[in-house]
Amino acid sequence: MIQDFINIINDYWLLLLIGQYPNGPLGGLANTLILSALAIALAFPVSILMALARLSKWRLLRWPVTGLVYVTRGVPLLMLILWCYFVIPLWTGADVPSFLIMLVTLVIYQGAFLSEVVRAGIVSLGQGQMDAAKALGHGHMSAMRFVILPQALYNMIPSMISTFVSTIKDTTLGYVINVPDLTFAASQVNNQLLTQPFQVFLILAVVYYILCWSLTYVANSIERRITRRRAGPRNARLPAEAAPLKTITEQL
Amino acid sequence: MSTSVSEPKAATAIRIADVCKNYGDYQVLKNINAEVARGEVVVICGPSGSGKSTLIRTVNRLEEINSGGISFEGQNIHAPMRGSELNKLRSRIGFVFQSFNLFPHLSVVDNVSMSPIRVKGVSADVAHDKALKLLDRVGLADKANSYPGQLSGGQQQRVAIARALAMEPPVMLFDEPTSALDPEMVGEVLSVMKSLAAEGMTMLCVTHEMGFARDVADRIWFIDAGEILETAPPEDFFKNPRHPRAQRFLADLRH
Repeated sequence: MIQDFINIINDYWLLLLIGQYPNGPLGGLANTLILSALAIALAFPVSILMALARLSKWRLLRWPVTGLVYVTRGVPLLMLILWCYFVIPLWTGADVPSFLIMLVTLVIYQGAFLSEVVRAGIVSLGQGQMDAAKALGHGHMSAMRFVILPQALYNMIPSMISTFVSTIKDTTLGYVINVPDLTFAASQVNNQLLTQPFQVFLILAVVYYILCWSLTYVANSIERRITRRRAGPRNARLPAEAAPLKTITEQL
Repeated sequence: MSTSVSEPKAATAIRIADVCKNYGDYQVLKNINAEVARGEVVVICGPSGSGKSTLIRTVNRLEEINSGGISFEGQNIHAPMRGSELNKLRSRIGFVFQSFNLFPHLSVVDNVSMSPIRVKGVSADVAHDKALKLLDRVGLADKANSYPGQLSGGQQQRVAIARALAMEPPVMLFDEPTSALDPEMVGEVLSVMKSLAAEGMTMLCVTHEMGFARDVADRIWFIDAGEILETAPPEDFFKNPRHPRAQRFLADLRH
């Protein structure tokens, strides 16, 4: 049994790591990492903009974004992926690479979820902080940037990590539109071996677990560092250790 | 807001003219007319729900009004204006909140120096030095690197006063600055306010501290149900209140 795992890894580690590259497109774990990192890196600023738009006093900004969030929350990610995959080439007439379609879909989908997290963080701060910033002469954006967001984002770290982790896991859905990621590579391996699906997909699961766990670990230590820096009665109530981030998966 | 506010006399710091404010059908402020002279200390008192806090919050436009105008440095702060203009006016009116509203993610010295840096464009070094001086003035120089969460209520409120002073406002507004404090911490905040008054700061304070009103105020505005019923120097107000509602209020306080 153990030998099976060692054999699979020995024979296919390069395929699992980088896919067909350099003979084909970059794939495997490398592509999963790139897709996850890009999706998180883009979804994060997008979510802040969406949250600000949803809290805006201008209806022209608030309504479309609210609509987008509602639709996105109400539709399974898989539907959204398939829809983008088939409709975008129809509309644009261009041959959009599936990697790009997956990335855009993830950014919109996770951006919408994350924007609700950010919005909750902002709203839960209460009016006092905004009033104080305004009374000192800060405009709305300046108050957001220097007073509200630093607190709101910090308070929301646990929920944001959940969303980031589920972003990593959601990249696996790229499989259905042939994004050559780690899942795709594992499936290729499985197709060649035919007899060892359990071993192949257990390896896959372990790799994803390590990925998600590392992200959680890094985020926890960042949170702890900030907490230590701000240490005081206010934060002592909620030491980071005592709240082992609710990251398990608030699968969406 | 259509009422034009005439150019104030040089000696007037704040002029409140015909200010009305409604929450739906409920009228919170009814035709308020009042002035604060430069260097004057005015204490607003009255029963809870009378509109004191709402009134003081309209002075720097944290609350909008329905009609009337409030002039500050010759400008109607409630006139339609660009956001940047309003921010500039607000930055010249210090405001101290009942609940302190310090920024918990910043150290004490950063709380005080952040707005001069971000709003006025003062260099970080200059703002930092100024902040340390102000903290010294409110007796908290040793807490410069603490965070708000590590301070007592009285200390937090003194930091909040230093933070407001850092913008060098010619006028300071206090909205029940001691109401959220434990009794033994009220004194330290009041003594900072007294020293400010002694230095000639123009102050408009909502407070229930009648001792402070008696000792420091130049005038008392007594307000009830959204109307200023009486304005008088403290000695007159406390000895011979003219309005029956003020008489009852003071009688209730003595019990």
